[in-house]
Amino acid sequence: MSESYSTINPCNMCMPMGSVLAFRGIEGCMPLFHGSQGCATYMRLYLAHHFREPVDIASSALSEKGTVYGGSANLKMGLKNLITGYSPRAIGVATTCLAETIGDDIVQIIKEFRAEEESSLPIIPVSTPSYSASHEEGYARALQAIVQTLARRTEPGSRTNLIIGSVVSPADVRYLKDMLTDWGFANEFILLPDISETLDAPRVENPPRITEGGTPLEDVVDTANSCRTLTVGGQFQSNSAGEYLEREFGVPQTALPLPIGLKDTDLFVSMLEDLIGIALPGKYEAQRGRLLDTLADVHKYLAGVRVAVYGDSDIALGLTRFLCEAGAIPAVVATGSSSTRFEAEIRAVSEDARILLGADFSQIHDQIRKARIDLMLGTSNGRQISRKEGIPLVRVGLPNHDRVGAARQLLIGYEGAAMLADAITNALLDENSRRTDRQ
Amino acid sequence: MSVIKIFEGREGHISQKAGSDPLPLSCSNESLAGAVSQRACVYSGARVVLNPLTDALHLVHGPIGCASYTWDIRGSSTSGPDLYKNSFSTDMTELDIIFGGEKKLAGAIQELAARFHPPAIFVYSTCIVGIIGDDLKSVCSKAAAELGLPVIPVCSEGFRGNKNEGYKAACNALFELIGMEEYRPSSPYTINLLGEYNVAGDLWAIKPLFEEMGIEVVATFTGDGRVAEIQRSHTARLNLVQCSGSMTYLAKKMEERYGIPYQRISFFGLGDMAAALRCAARFFQDEGMLAKAEEIIERETARVMPEIVHYRTRIKGKRAAIYMGGAAKAVSLVRAFEELGMEVVIIGTQTGDRDDYRKISCMVRDGTVIVDDANPLELRELLAVQKADLLVAGVKERFLAYKLGIAFCDFNHDRTTSFEGYDGLVNFARELDVSLNSPVWKLPLHRSSPLEITEFENAIQKTGERGTGQCLRAIPQ
Repeated sequence: MSESYSTINPCNMCMPMGSVLAFRGIEGCMPLFHGSQGCATYMRLYLAHHFREPVDIASSALSEKGTVYGGSANLKMGLKNLITGYSPRAIGVATTCLAETIGDDIVQIIKEFRAEEESSLPIIPVSTPSYSASHEEGYARALQAIVQTLARRTEPGSRTNLIIGSVVSPADVRYLKDMLTDWGFANEFILLPDISETLDAPRVENPPRITEGGTPLEDVVDTANSCRTLTVGGQFQSNSAGEYLEREFGVPQTALPLPIGLKDTDLFVSMLEDLIGIALPGKYEAQRGRLLDTLADVHKYLAGVRVAVYGDSDIALGLTRFLCEAGAIPAVVATGSSSTRFEAEIRAVSEDARILLGADFSQIHDQIRKARIDLMLGTSNGRQISRKEGIPLVRVGLPNHDRVGAARQLLIGYEGAAMLADAITNALLDENSRRTDRQ
Repeated sequence: MSVIKIFEGREGHISQKAGSDPLPLSCSNESLAGAVSQRACVYSGARVVLNPLTDALHLVHGPIGCASYTWDIRGSSTSGPDLYKNSFSTDMTELDIIFGGEKKLAGAIQELAARFHPPAIFVYSTCIVGIIGDDLKSVCSKAAAELGLPVIPVCSEGFRGNKNEGYKAACNALFELIGMEEYRPSSPYTINLLGEYNVAGDLWAIKPLFEEMGIEVVATFTGDGRVAEIQRSHTARLNLVQCSGSMTYLAKKMEERYGIPYQRISFFGLGDMAAALRCAARFFQDEGMLAKAEEIIERETARVMPEIVHYRTRIKGKRAAIYMGGAAKAVSLVRAFEELGMEVVIIGTQTGDRDDYRKISCMVRDGTVIVDDANPLELRELLAVQKADLLVAGVKERFLAYKLGIAFCDFNHDRTTSFEGYDGLVNFARELDVSLNSPVWKLPLHRSSPLEITEFENAIQKTGERGTGQCLRAIPQ
């Protein structure tokens, strides 16, 4: 591909957004962006639209003055007000392009703030300028910053850290929690981060200012004492909370792909079985059986169907592998971030796929036209292409701005795979009947 | 008197009307850090004003995020070109920050111009461009000379203020286009519509009414707009300004340079709509046109009135809260709610100025709370204290309202229903009715459990010796 100077219709978001999804997975934790007011507002809008939840993100609201003389006063004021208004149990401070470019040292400013205010509130700094990497990396960096700031070695424990290394849906996290509970070993795991309640909150009387749920702070602190870490997803990011815990505290890490589709879920479940020493609960074996049954039911519909997969790298990889299991063809696989390892992983399951790294939707569109695509599988950002080309789009991942239920969309595990097989098949059948009607 | 208190330093921004004196409200200053303001940035202001120009190429010079979050988010419709539905970015990376992004920008302009052949290119600057000092002006003017088309820098570094500064930057950019093309209007009566963004096709309900009066709309700023229309907009005799927050600045500039007077109008609500039509007719001092305007007003009002009356009976007396970006829309909403028999109990804006709040303060009834640059915590408290039944605002506020069990109406630029003009008010009333009277708000938040001890059972337990557990759980007859 020739070097291009411009990006047309981005396939990724910026780093601070990723950090919010990590911070909101910690109990009582409020995110604050050190930068201009717009960043917080834009990302609140973007996330609120996706989750259909209020998403509060504070800002140090840097103005011209702060930009010229440094943003220390703004950041301290922001922290102070955030504490007054929300009484958070922790604050995640993510930088923006602006704060990074003017060279504010947020670690130092936070240190000063804590001394001046005599505050022991955990404040987690993370460097997330948009120009360095995408929201996927922002999420990974924030996760690493969370353990880096909070994890403390005390007594060696017997628990396992289960780190969700990529952005998944609240429903996905709930599924993992339920699985561990059904197994009877929920207390033996520290699930990090946990957005299952915080970004898909029930309607209650007098909702709290900060939505309840999230990984308890004590558990985050305790991750340093666990006997091992199992990380799912996040394999293409350069920061990793699991690696940090291994490096710093000697907690050995095993990294797995997101459990999307049959084989990757098998891998995950077998790993858990090995750790726990007790067989997977029958309920999940039955789900596995139903997934196989579903795939048998739909195999003729999906046979040879040419799919364009795009979105976050870990999800795109999982979807690609799953399509192969189902007999469909991942003809175009695209992600907004750039990782040669991603390319190799895709190539390993699909020799013919057109792989796009660092892609924008203009490139994805070109490839979709060339590759005779039957179905698109990815975020709602593909909607323009879908409409223009008359190709059905099954929405998976973030953002999903034009359909409801993103927070409740289950993608992982046997159940998620079966639901996805249904959704893909139904989209093709819908399209078929539309075409038949037109004739 | 402070109605609620959450943040130190916000007291002056919240006030409750009492008596006839207009309230002096603190406004037009920087948002309080950490308070989760609903405001956006300069870039955002510039982008929302310019983006509805459908055939222009909108290029964001900055890191990817600024382009990601503004891709096709505005509900402005087009009757033709759709170039504006793309998000173009120079996607600045670390190296561009270190070595400067001018070369990349110049390359991007050339590349995109060659591929899309736009009639004009707007180049938006973002926060870091202002810091690293890329010379947007010289890159743009060089490109303009080479390409032979307007390449206009939009000075919209995010940190340089709030949305209002962005509106100004957009107006300055538009002003560069005006007067570039000669044009002979087909009617002696010509107007421009400023601050009309054709959200959900609003414009298409308005424009025909003016045309029926014999008026030619030369250009709309910027809903369903075309670059060429803007370029010849200096040939209009009158500017009608709707969203005054974003466009008064431009109207003044046009008055100064081209001698085009402007009038503030609104197309929302029956009264405001009628006033807008009359305003144009009066300006042209044409008896026939005035009569035509009255005819249209009478005809259209009669046409929609039965439906308005129907909805009014269903929503009358309900209490509304308004939180808008700009003050013009908020003011128009107050009148519309009056027409619909609803009471306004909270009114707030992100970017209103002293004059706006004085005007609002004179319009609303005693007891109404007026708030500047609110945040979720304040909105939440105010909605409760003021016992609001409904909130009119944008997406960020929607889910807050729902979580609190309060009806909601989206009146922001990403709404999908047209609210302007005669049918627009019917749509608006219908949406209020649908949300206010939805059965979902009446669903019990608590399920009554057979295991819970009810008051009735409590009474038995206290008085009766025969109150065994088993008998307590029996359903009372």
